[in-house]
Amino acid sequence: MAATIFKQSRSFRVVKVKAPGNRIVVHWRKRNPKGAHCGKCGTLLNGMPRLRPVELNKLSKSQKRPERPYGGMLCSSCTRQVFIEKARAK
Amino acid sequence: MMQKESETQKDEKGDVLKMVLEIGRVCIKTAGRDAGKHCVVIDMLDNNVALIDGATRRRKCNILHLEPTARKVDISKDADHEAVKKAFSQIGIDIKDTAPKKAGSRPSKQPRKKEYPAEKKKKKPKEAQPLKDAEKSKVIDVVPEKEVEVQPEKNPEQKKKAGKTLPGGTTVKAPSKKP
Ligand SMILES: [Zn+2]
Repeated sequence: MAATIFKQSRSFRVVKVKAPGNRIVVHWRKRNPKGAHCGKCGTLLNGMPRLRPVELNKLSKSQKRPERPYGGMLCSSCTRQVFIEKARAK
Repeated sequence: MMQKESETQKDEKGDVLKMVLEIGRVCIKTAGRDAGKHCVVIDMLDNNVALIDGATRRRKCNILHLEPTARKVDISKDADHEAVKKAFSQIGIDIKDTAPKKAGSRPSKQPRKKEYPAEKKKKKPKEAQPLKDAEKSKVIDVVPEKEVEVQPEKNPEQKKKAGKTLPGGTTVKAPSKKP
């Protein structure tokens, strides 16, 4: 016997679902993780889904991160700075 | 650490770029999916837009997305991709041309084969294979007979054989006339 999980706690979130008979039922689901952040400046990254790993597996590769070098790791302004620094170093 | 570019800095950068960018200037692209790749300015379409080619795709580009380098290349206006390739090989920059993917090259997902009971498996191949062989021989013989509509009524047995073997469109007339 696996231990039963107490779902009505702060680690779960409330979702209201419409059930047959037009009644509204409360479901308890796991919370979504934090959004991805830039590795350099720490801002929240755009274009990154905030989903559990199971849900992320259902998405295509291009839906998970921006399609550019360092996409999903650095924000757009930081990547620009990285490439400008590289160009000026030569 | 460099600070983020403010709008005034962008304007200054744009003013400088308009002076620097000419046809033949080697740049590095700093934005988008081609970021970090070398390219050459082939044409200035506008005050703010350049046509570029090289390790990037051949495309229009906002000049704010370009970072000029000290290098320059001898290239005519609107040069071909091959001419750009030659010029880049002299500097020592390799360009990889990616060919479009072939349709059959990718492995496709095959759905799982359902396990049918043993009876069904045996029936299918027996019915299917002999008919196909028979079709080819019968179709060629029967078709000229079928053009005359009156004949098949006399011999109902021939009709049935023909109805099974030929594809549905041609044999519609025969079964309807029976009753
Ligand atoms: Zn950043």
